[in-house]
Amino acid sequence: MNAIPIELIHIVIAIALVAGFVGLNGLVLVWVERKVAGHVQRRPGPYEVGPNGLLQPLADAAKLVGKQLFTPDGSDKLVFWLAPIVSFLPVMPMFLPMPFSPFLTAMEVNVGLVLILAFAGLNILALCLAGWGSNNKYGLLGAGRAVAQGVAYEIPLLLSVLAVCFMTGSLSLTEIVAAQGNWPWQWNWIYQPIAFILYFTCGVAETNRAPFDLPEAESELVAGFHTEYSGMGFGLFFLAEYAEMIVVCGVATALFLGGWKGPGAAGAWWFLLKLYVLLVIMIWFRWTYPRTRFDQLLNLCWKWLLPLSILNLLVTALVIKL
Amino acid sequence: MAILAKVAFFFYTLIILAGAWWAVTAQSLVRALVGLIATLFAVAGMYLLLAAPLVAFMQLLIYVGAVSVLILLAIMLARAPAGGEEQDPRQPRQYVNALLVLCAPAFALSWVIIKHPPVSRLTPSELPAEALGKALMGPYSLAFELISVALLVAMAGAVLLAFEKRGKK
Repeated sequence: MNAIPIELIHIVIAIALVAGFVGLNGLVLVWVERKVAGHVQRRPGPYEVGPNGLLQPLADAAKLVGKQLFTPDGSDKLVFWLAPIVSFLPVMPMFLPMPFSPFLTAMEVNVGLVLILAFAGLNILALCLAGWGSNNKYGLLGAGRAVAQGVAYEIPLLLSVLAVCFMTGSLSLTEIVAAQGNWPWQWNWIYQPIAFILYFTCGVAETNRAPFDLPEAESELVAGFHTEYSGMGFGLFFLAEYAEMIVVCGVATALFLGGWKGPGAAGAWWFLLKLYVLLVIMIWFRWTYPRTRFDQLLNLCWKWLLPLSILNLLVTALVIKL
Repeated sequence: MAILAKVAFFFYTLIILAGAWWAVTAQSLVRALVGLIATLFAVAGMYLLLAAPLVAFMQLLIYVGAVSVLILLAIMLARAPAGGEEQDPRQPRQYVNALLVLCAPAFALSWVIIKHPPVSRLTPSELPAEALGKALMGPYSLAFELISVALLVAMAGAVLLAFEKRGKK
């Protein structure tokens, strides 16, 4: 019997590291979110558990894990419990082609961008299954909104990403980063400012974050698609949302902000720095803007973002050809 | 790696068949859709085994990420009642019809493959996305365009159906 192939060991280690990274970031981001929310609203945020409330996320996690798992009456049990799993599992492959640094990429996939976008689409499916499986009208309404929103915003997102791919002529995140320079004015956000803004807007909408958190709008829908989930059922949705935020910001970093490159020594620290700046901006959005109305949300996408992204793509293609 | 590939092949085949069986026999539409999604996923796995990651991820992006979601939306909009006709016991004639529907494409496809076997190789090699695009725009452009005609027909048909329903009310 020959030895275990090296690639298999490589992938297993990478997935273990990704799982650790996602879990740890979930904890950190919950703390950051609550702290930012607190300071935006002129209160200290979590303060009691640990120094400056640093251990609060651990307490939250322990609470979530300890809670009883309820399945509502008349719900489709299989679909109901499949949904949180479908929501969380695709997160793992999405981190595989993420270029933290030239040496710190879990798996070199030369269509890495397509991989991330493909698995990102599964989240909507999970929200739908959750809303349908709960046998709850709020859940169903939340799921309906999730579909309309997710399907609409995916199109300008893909088109804005495509504009960058046109410029580099590659679908590999590593190559796209390598094609950018060391200084901020050599990054793609200077050449593709419209695509950057479009991508980030659509990214916020795709991760269902405020001001686009219509599927779980608590003032109208209780909690939308995850109304009926208790304990870790809700925990998995929550963790998946934070992981998707990291993915959206990570892809933005690689595509538009030069990835691991930066003035001075290039490396994973630059990637992480830009990633966390974008994440804080996303959290800042949530606590600054009020929630949009649903017709405004769809009008914004179909009447502004979509034509703008098509125009941007056409102009990009034209300029490349000239 | 060859053994691993064979294991993966049988694993995917199993999921494809099980998902299809589940989709046909499920008692609720959403459960049937779950079976369909499992099948689509395993087909993407098959593409990966053929060293065609772009096609595999497009399969996920389009079929799992978009088409299944739209099917789900249609189910939710139609609000299919729990005790629909899919829960009635099936007639033996339905089984015969199903078998015919299963066999017709199977015979046609296997006849074509036996008549014109494609060139096979031991280890598949990955084709760059550029070559794929050039092939679609060059020698296969007619097929590529015909697909868009099919989509147009489907869309026109959907509009027509919607209008007829509205007229009856």
